[in-house]
Amino acid sequence: MPVKVHVHTTHRQFTNGLEVIEVGGDTVGECLNHLINQFPQMEKALFAKKDKLLNIVEVYLNHTSAFPNELIKPVKDGDDIHLVVMLAGG
Amino acid sequence: MLTPSEQERYDRQIMIGEIGQEGQGKLKRSRVVIAGAGGLGSPIAIYLAAAGIGMIRLIDHDQVALSNLNRQILHWEEDIGQRKVDSAKTKLRKLNSWIEVETIAETITEDNVLKLMDGCDVIVDALDNLPTRYTLNRCAMEKNIPFFHGAVTGFEGRAMTIIPGKTTCLRCMYRGPVPQKKFPVIGVTPAVIGVIQATEVIKYLIGIGKLLTDRLLIFDGLEMSFNEFKVSRNPDCDHCGFLSSAEGRLG
Repeated sequence: MPVKVHVHTTHRQFTNGLEVIEVGGDTVGECLNHLINQFPQMEKALFAKKDKLLNIVEVYLNHTSAFPNELIKPVKDGDDIHLVVMLAGG
Repeated sequence: MLTPSEQERYDRQIMIGEIGQEGQGKLKRSRVVIAGAGGLGSPIAIYLAAAGIGMIRLIDHDQVALSNLNRQILHWEEDIGQRKVDSAKTKLRKLNSWIEVETIAETITEDNVLKLMDGCDVIVDALDNLPTRYTLNRCAMEKNIPFFHGAVTGFEGRAMTIIPGKTTCLRCMYRGPVPQKKFPVIGVTPAVIGVIQATEVIKYLIGIGKLLTDRLLIFDGLEMSFNEFKVSRNPDCDHCGFLSSAEGRLG
């Protein structure tokens, strides 16, 4: 069973409108690389530079914060990764 | 002690077993700071005033503008150009003249935050920017005052309750500075999040229910879904880490 990446609303313009993308990998970082291989525009939406997520991007693994060192967190088949964007308005 | 009029006014919520006369008395004796009288601040203030919170201190430096009226429901067309705290106080007094409403038309800064929060039981985050939220978060940790976080953009919002020294604070989740920009929003989103924050405040003040601590609640109005994510304290947090070490020494 692959890992499921749940794409944030604002990023679905880069995934042909898809909310859930199936990926493979042993870590969160590998899974996100696989996501970017399928949808290259997601790289700019998620990363400030190589191996450095944008400060507004939050990653949750199985509904638990993966922060800090999100990219090296191990994943297994059937896991869920949620990509969330920090909010600041009020 | 509640007066007969107060017992009548708050009868429907006093009937709730978890509240009762005792809980209503606690609300009457409570002092709440709401930082921001805009999209989030409006529903928070309205529902806390209606519930009979004894003292509400509203802080906002801004004036009412036409573009506020899609979401900042304490402010109406006739209020454009007025200070938001004055406009808000007028409405809150009409809703509940039995409570005290303090207003402060100042910008919250590192220099004045301790004074502005003085004497309050809880601080509610109804701000529109992250830097001031961190200023407020730090103050709440230093003064050991519970802090009720909320934020919105578009159809999405989030809320979390923070008990200093015990649960994850806003800064524990800090990843670095983010660019500030004008944010899109429709009024129903801060309405949903503000009411969640007000609910948490009421629960905390009375001491009932399960608080939204160490859990980040995310509302997506487009999908009409609520997602809950577990978050944890950062022992090296520069805002609340000292509370961990103090607890450790005491232990």
